[in-house]
Amino acid sequence: MAETIAEALRQAWENYQTGFARFLPRILVTLTIFVIGWLLAFVFGFLTRKVLGWLHLNALADRSGAGEVLKNAELPPADRVAGRLVFWLVFLGFLLSGLDALGFKGVEGLVARFLHFVPNLLVAVVIVVVGFVASNFLWRATLLAAFNARLPSARLLGNAVRVLVMILSVAMALEQIGVAKAVVLTAFAITFGAVMLGLAIAFGIGGGGLARRILEQQFTERDGTDTNGSSHL
Amino acid sequence: MSPPSILSDDLLRQLMAVGQVDIMVGVPTLNNAATVGAVVQAAHFAFGNHFARERTVLINSDGGSSDGTPDIVREASRVESETVLAAHSLRTRHRISAPYHGVPGKGTALRTLFAAADLLQARAVAILDPEITSITPDGVFALLGPVLRDGVDFVSPAYARHPLDGPLVSQLVRPLFRAAYGRRLHEPMAADLGCSGTFAASCLEEAVWESDFARYGIDLWLSCAAVAGGFRMAEAALGPRTLGPRVARPGLQELFPQVVGSLFSCLEMHEAFWAGRTGSEAVPLLGEAPAVAGPAPPVERASLIEAFRTGVTDLGPLLEQVLSPETLEALHALSRAEGVITYPDRLWVATVMEFAAAHYRGVMHRQHLLQALVPLYLGRLAAFHARAEEVGVDATERALEALGESFEEAKPHLLGLWNKEGGR
Repeated sequence: MAETIAEALRQAWENYQTGFARFLPRILVTLTIFVIGWLLAFVFGFLTRKVLGWLHLNALADRSGAGEVLKNAELPPADRVAGRLVFWLVFLGFLLSGLDALGFKGVEGLVARFLHFVPNLLVAVVIVVVGFVASNFLWRATLLAAFNARLPSARLLGNAVRVLVMILSVAMALEQIGVAKAVVLTAFAITFGAVMLGLAIAFGIGGGGLARRILEQQFTERDGTDTNGSSHL
Repeated sequence: MSPPSILSDDLLRQLMAVGQVDIMVGVPTLNNAATVGAVVQAAHFAFGNHFARERTVLINSDGGSSDGTPDIVREASRVESETVLAAHSLRTRHRISAPYHGVPGKGTALRTLFAAADLLQARAVAILDPEITSITPDGVFALLGPVLRDGVDFVSPAYARHPLDGPLVSQLVRPLFRAAYGRRLHEPMAADLGCSGTFAASCLEEAVWESDFARYGIDLWLSCAAVAGGFRMAEAALGPRTLGPRVARPGLQELFPQVVGSLFSCLEMHEAFWAGRTGSEAVPLLGEAPAVAGPAPPVERASLIEAFRTGVTDLGPLLEQVLSPETLEALHALSRAEGVITYPDRLWVATVMEFAAAHYRGVMHRQHLLQALVPLYLGRLAAFHARAEEVGVDATERALEALGESFEEAKPHLLGLWNKEGGR
């Protein structure tokens, strides 16, 4: 009995030793990949930050309004955010590669899927950034145009345009990374359609007088603030 | 760029037929049929009355008028040549009317005229605005005489105007130009001017002619370039200024960004010149000091104040990105005030300078930035009009002088904002 137990223990110990001897190099490979990955990610993140700093990304972000948003969210400046994004993208790639090297079932092919996902993620980030810049530009343009045209609620109009453009860009970005494609598209179509229909009904029924006033303002002579610009020279 | 490459073959042929001249008068036109005749006649009378011995040429550089402007120029020239000038002139009077080529706008027209002056080796050049019908032969002489006789390089007109006339010039362009460039010009963006051939040739060397800036801000740029280039300057008293009728003129919302944007761009262009200067000096005035002329232009003060109040409220998020918290708070306080607003000089100066610095630092799209300044300008205009109504014309003149001094005193503030870290 005792011999059987001892034999089983010996067998288990041998199996453990064999397994460990077979698995140790994989752990070392994984750790090496992690370390190299961290170093490379750090270098890429650092270079990204430096290059974007040299390109005055922060000034550009301030100009587009993104700087203000980052500040309000207590996030670092735009070049640091981009640097961190690059760091984590690179490091995540190496992390998955390291896990893959361990040979666990279930994590196989993670790297391939991640590499397939990264370009989509980058495109999605670009879509959101461009959407943000465009929404700010259109917000200002709408606000000023509405103010110059003496439309009531110029701020409301400007904000509505900004929100709509942001919703559009976020929906596009989500579709790009394939997150609940059908849900996003349907939700967007319903929301956008509902907003437009609501505005049309509100303006057509509730704002008939307002519409008339606006049109009259547009097609009749402006007030004294915008007649002949030459009189100001 | 050498002049022949700017000039069309046809114009070049006509200029070569003219040969060298002493005086060139240029009239840039675009659909000015209603007014250009009087301007051309004034130039021709000036040739006959004041420059009988000089070789002269009048060149009309037209931007493709569809109302027969070039025909009217030719007709006016022909009539005067046959009736008046033949009796007085000792030399042939040349006149050329030719379309210019390139980007439509006054910049291209002026470039063509300056290139023609350079080719003809003109000693004195006058550029006449086809819309200012009040120009007289004596006025043309006043623009050209100092160049020919006294070696002046740039002659700017000084019109007799009511202190409330041309408020964009008197409230913003003139005092900011004075503070930055250190020269006190009555009309820093006048369309009528006289200059030497040397000045015209030096302008051709500058890299402004291809830009949008040349379309809208070339008049202002010429004054700035004259000061920054160290050219000898003078002002010529031209009497009252009358603009002839024209079908369409740009509204304030279109014109304001063009004018103010041009001035801010000039500051950017000549930063190295003005940044180290303090104080200002008067430009020698030739002729009698311009008196007050005409009645005060009417304004709808209530609508100006309303535009100001709505602007400060609605454009608040934009103004936050441009103005300092103190200036913005003061403007909000003004907009909340009942009745007529009081927009003090100091606050107006701070507003303008903070906008100028924001324009330089690219805080937002420049067109948006300039449009956001319009309601504040309207508020200042309403406030100044209200004060002028109380104190009278003489005190209003003094108030404009005081405004110029306030801009000068605040120049260090502008420089501080201009050189602020974290900007461009």
